[in-house]
Amino acid sequence: MSTFALDRVTAQFPEAVAERYLDRTGGAWAVIHAEHLPKVAAFLKNELDFKLFTSIDAVDRLHLAENDPRFEVVYFIYSLSRHEHVRFKVRVSENRPEIPSITPVFRGADWWERFVWDFYGIRFAGHPDLRRVLLYEEFQGHPLRKDYALRDRQPLIPERPIKDIFRGPGTSGVS
Amino acid sequence: MSDNDNKKPTGDSQTPPKGSPSETREAPGSTPKHPPAGAKLDTPPAAHSGPTGTPPPPAAKPAGPPPPKNPGFVTCTIDGKEVVVKPGTNMIEAARMVGSDIPYFCYHPRLSIAANCRMCMVEASNAPKLVPGCQTPLVEGQVIKTTTPKVKEQQRAVMEFLLLNHPVDCSICDQAGECKLQDYYMRYDYRPSRLEGGKVMKNKRKVLGPRVVLDQERCIICSRCVRFMNEIPKEPQLGIFGRGSHEVIDTFPGSELNSNYSLNTVDICPVGALLSRDFRFRARSWFLSAAPSVCTGCSRGCNTYADFMGQDTYRYRPRENEAVNKSWMCDHGRETYKGLNLGRVLSAVVGRQQGITARPEVARKEAIQAAAKALSGVKGQVAVLASPVASNEDLLAALTFAKTTLGAKEVYVGGRPQGQADHYLLTADRNPNRKGLEMIAQGLGLALKPFEDLAKAMDGGKVKALYAVGTEVPGNLEAFSAAASKLDVFVAQSTNESALTAQATVLLPASAHVEFDGSFVQVDGLIQRFRKAYPSKGDAVGHWALAAELTREMGGTAAWTSSREVFRELGKQVTGFAEFDWDKSAPPDREKPGINPLPTAADGRPPGYREFGAPRVRGL
Amino acid sequence: MADTHKPVSPPNPEAPNPDTDAYAHEAELEAHLQTKRMYVNMGPSHPATHGTVRLKVELEGENIAEIDCEIGFLHRGFQKSCENVTWTQCLPYTDRLNYVSAMMNNFGFLNAVEKLIGLEIPERAQYIRVIGSELHRIHDHLTCVGATGMELGGFAPFLFAVEARELIMDRVAELTGARLTTNFGRIGGMNRDLPEGWSEKVIKTLDKVMEHVTEIDGLLSRNRIFVDRTKDTGIITAEDAIDYGWTGPCLRACGIDYDIRKVKPYWVYDRMEFDVPVGEKGDNYDRYLMRIEEMKQSDRIIRQALKQIPAGPIILDDWRIALPPKPEVYGTIEGVISHFKLVMEGIQVPAGEVYDCTEAANGELGWYMVSDGSGRPYKVHVRAPGYPILSAVPHIIKGKLLADLIPTFDTINMIGGEVEQ
Repeated sequence: MSTFALDRVTAQFPEAVAERYLDRTGGAWAVIHAEHLPKVAAFLKNELDFKLFTSIDAVDRLHLAENDPRFEVVYFIYSLSRHEHVRFKVRVSENRPEIPSITPVFRGADWWERFVWDFYGIRFAGHPDLRRVLLYEEFQGHPLRKDYALRDRQPLIPERPIKDIFRGPGTSGVS
Repeated sequence: MSDNDNKKPTGDSQTPPKGSPSETREAPGSTPKHPPAGAKLDTPPAAHSGPTGTPPPPAAKPAGPPPPKNPGFVTCTIDGKEVVVKPGTNMIEAARMVGSDIPYFCYHPRLSIAANCRMCMVEASNAPKLVPGCQTPLVEGQVIKTTTPKVKEQQRAVMEFLLLNHPVDCSICDQAGECKLQDYYMRYDYRPSRLEGGKVMKNKRKVLGPRVVLDQERCIICSRCVRFMNEIPKEPQLGIFGRGSHEVIDTFPGSELNSNYSLNTVDICPVGALLSRDFRFRARSWFLSAAPSVCTGCSRGCNTYADFMGQDTYRYRPRENEAVNKSWMCDHGRETYKGLNLGRVLSAVVGRQQGITARPEVARKEAIQAAAKALSGVKGQVAVLASPVASNEDLLAALTFAKTTLGAKEVYVGGRPQGQADHYLLTADRNPNRKGLEMIAQGLGLALKPFEDLAKAMDGGKVKALYAVGTEVPGNLEAFSAAASKLDVFVAQSTNESALTAQATVLLPASAHVEFDGSFVQVDGLIQRFRKAYPSKGDAVGHWALAAELTREMGGTAAWTSSREVFRELGKQVTGFAEFDWDKSAPPDREKPGINPLPTAADGRPPGYREFGAPRVRGL
Repeated sequence: MADTHKPVSPPNPEAPNPDTDAYAHEAELEAHLQTKRMYVNMGPSHPATHGTVRLKVELEGENIAEIDCEIGFLHRGFQKSCENVTWTQCLPYTDRLNYVSAMMNNFGFLNAVEKLIGLEIPERAQYIRVIGSELHRIHDHLTCVGATGMELGGFAPFLFAVEARELIMDRVAELTGARLTTNFGRIGGMNRDLPEGWSEKVIKTLDKVMEHVTEIDGLLSRNRIFVDRTKDTGIITAEDAIDYGWTGPCLRACGIDYDIRKVKPYWVYDRMEFDVPVGEKGDNYDRYLMRIEEMKQSDRIIRQALKQIPAGPIILDDWRIALPPKPEVYGTIEGVISHFKLVMEGIQVPAGEVYDCTEAANGELGWYMVSDGSGRPYKVHVRAPGYPILSAVPHIIKGKLLADLIPTFDTINMIGGEVEQ
């Protein structure tokens, strides 16, 4: 698999790339330092034509051999001209789970970053609207962390007051 | 499963399957053809330098070979990684150090070397043939390869040979799930059977002794059990009889396998041939979770795993501890798990048992209030009976309560009666924590008095009130119970029911040692931590928690909410406890030797806990 | 009402009567129409949002001033569940992602796991996967098109679509044993072969389905109402679509020719002759047309695949990957060990990570998997195609008419199961 994009990134920002490796299936990976992430993302988008935003997710490495730093946020971006994905990851420590957001660069990152915040509790600095996306705001904890139990119970929450909804005639909502 | 995958077995040609995982793809076709599997056992103890079993003199080498790279050690290369070991280290142990697994059946680090399973054969640079890794000490500069096609072919051949006459028993075999044959088949063979015709039939349920039964068909004649009986308890009760495929393990005529260490043979049996008669057919091993614990059968304090499911313990297995029990434990200790399941005091009771009528069970809170009321009236005159079966945390909390709240100055020592010590692990003192009780009493400034004094005092009517932490008594239980029936106040905290608990005016249910985190002090003064396996049965809480509740009920302060806090706060007064790091000494709770069937604790339930109760198993 | 019992103060004769007097003021008559923003709550259960999504719409007149998608009502903890079962046991969970085209999720997942292990599956299995995928692509598009028609007022196309779907479902049921949640395929190949005589039935079915598709096409594509409501509504530019991460027919409707089956052919797609339809405007009508055309292309692919499909094994003959045949399981110790280990502990996927994607009905179905070398996945990330598409809806619809929201929401074909995992 091509390492074109990562080669260019390494050449352009040698300080941003912490590590390069090939995974067992031949996929090329780079580990990017969090503080250089927006720069690298902008470079990929504007200079290298990696524009199709594919996805973001995180891995909680708690039970793996190398688990410090604990989290990895993985990014996949596709180039429609080169027809290849670029994959890179950012390592995030448990103590300060915050990395810069790339939503200003890729609008597609918006919901994915919300997803990672929702399920892993990693904050994205500079995200315009970092709310939970699939779970509800009152949810306690971040369920895809490995220390969140499979069958953990959540407390019951009071019904939210519905103020913003205009209700028509009928019995619903009228006490 | 599908209806359509009843395709013909295609394994006749023994070509490795196409498209197997890439890392093993070099195996096909080109593998050198080896002599048939059956011939393997006739391979002479493979050529290796140095006499078998004895370490080669590291430095005394002829002028030819280069001097050792690390004087005093042997330096060699295993799978491309350099490894430095002490002279005499065998290849299996050395390979393990660099992360290469050499498979083996008959090898056991604590037993003599038999080298009869031929599973550990590896390629050595100084031998034309494969050499058994268990038997061959490393020599300077040797290059060992454990993953070459030749080695793989050998491993496959051995596996095929071992499975040739193995019965199709996995579904009814207790070993399934923790069986080396299964593990190694998937790792080193994974090919269909080529057997035509039937398998050799042998005795499928040969009772070897009171605790062990043998399935001779499953046996692979690794001779671990024979060597164990010869070398560890030194009671040679097993032997190998017959020849060829009719070879069987058996006891000598007229004798039986009745050693107190016979169940260790079940543990070290790599397959499901030797089986515990107690555990047989009672649980599937992959449903069991293991908690690192300590045996309470005697004062040796053998390290164990308590294998449990739901809120029941199913068996103890020895946990390795070089200082205490090596890899073994005695049969007497193994049977003590039964007391964790049966005859337990599960709820609080107020009032003596009259005849056979059941006493009303009350909520623990009420019972505590009743006990506090009764004890308040007799402050200063309460005799205290402490059992050395209880853990350090229990005794710390309960004796602190006795001293500060009840005003006790002396403690009578209860506990199980003395037994016979045997020649190896079992001690005469059948209480796990006598040392701990002594240390704690000393630390708290309480005098220890023998149980007989209490019995005499009660007979004489001098004692009218008794507070018992654990109701095991070393003397005559009937006589003591009769004496206890005359007491005005008898508050007993107990794990198990007995004639004595029936006489308690207030009976409080206490947790057994697998139900909380705690520690014991074994006979040599070693403090050993054990871990909680599952939540307490019934309404029980630890002795320490009962003591805390009583203290609070009687107006004292006891802020402990966990056994850890009890040890931290009260252990300071005890010399010997202060430097004991309670947290760090805890055995890791995520390991289980052999395979880890299912990480049951991953889902937030206590390990082994099943939402809809334990699966129905026979014998419970 | 509690306050009806309050003593009412006597009316002040001096005060203006709001019922009559207010309108009498001259200023009122000259004032502009008083509008205030109205909040409309669409969903989570709404006839025009086929998927449990709640759209909080802020209306200014009939125009949408603000919109917020609240999703997650169908969240089932897909990833967490997968992390706690064996690789094979994940497969039924993947059915429930895009439940309209379950087989595509099955095969996408399997493809990624096979890539992680490094397996090459038998050719026949690859053909079966292509056939299954394309059948379900038609199925998915029929649902989308039919529902679009219905929600824009035409019930007949929906009935045709459902009729055609039913035919496909029957074939799917014959093939997999289930109508909806197929759980089809296993790591290393397929779990069952094509049934006897199934191929001929599929050809007949396709004839019938294509008839229905033509009917739908005829009923909708030139229908004045339909065209008015879909043409030039819900437009997204190609740049925005790419930026949001759109893929599949929705992206192609914007004029971007990106189909994974063409650019990175997997299985046997490189042996198939088919065209990838590309739109121009990126409006609802184009997205609808993409789907109509893709059904016709899928029809072509299935017919070719059924013609080309070779005989042979359908799953790898490797007892570390595939379950041994039942006679071996019951009769030999080798078989029973392998069966036991595969069922109880799962396929031992070597440690590593992989990103792999296939072209599902709605776009790129991506999988990022991490294995720690055990029988259970350490991490299964699914990049559902609908997720980025739905995330762009507020961008598309802001400032547009509320009525445009319905066709837009239809043609992006949001599937709750995959979006909300």
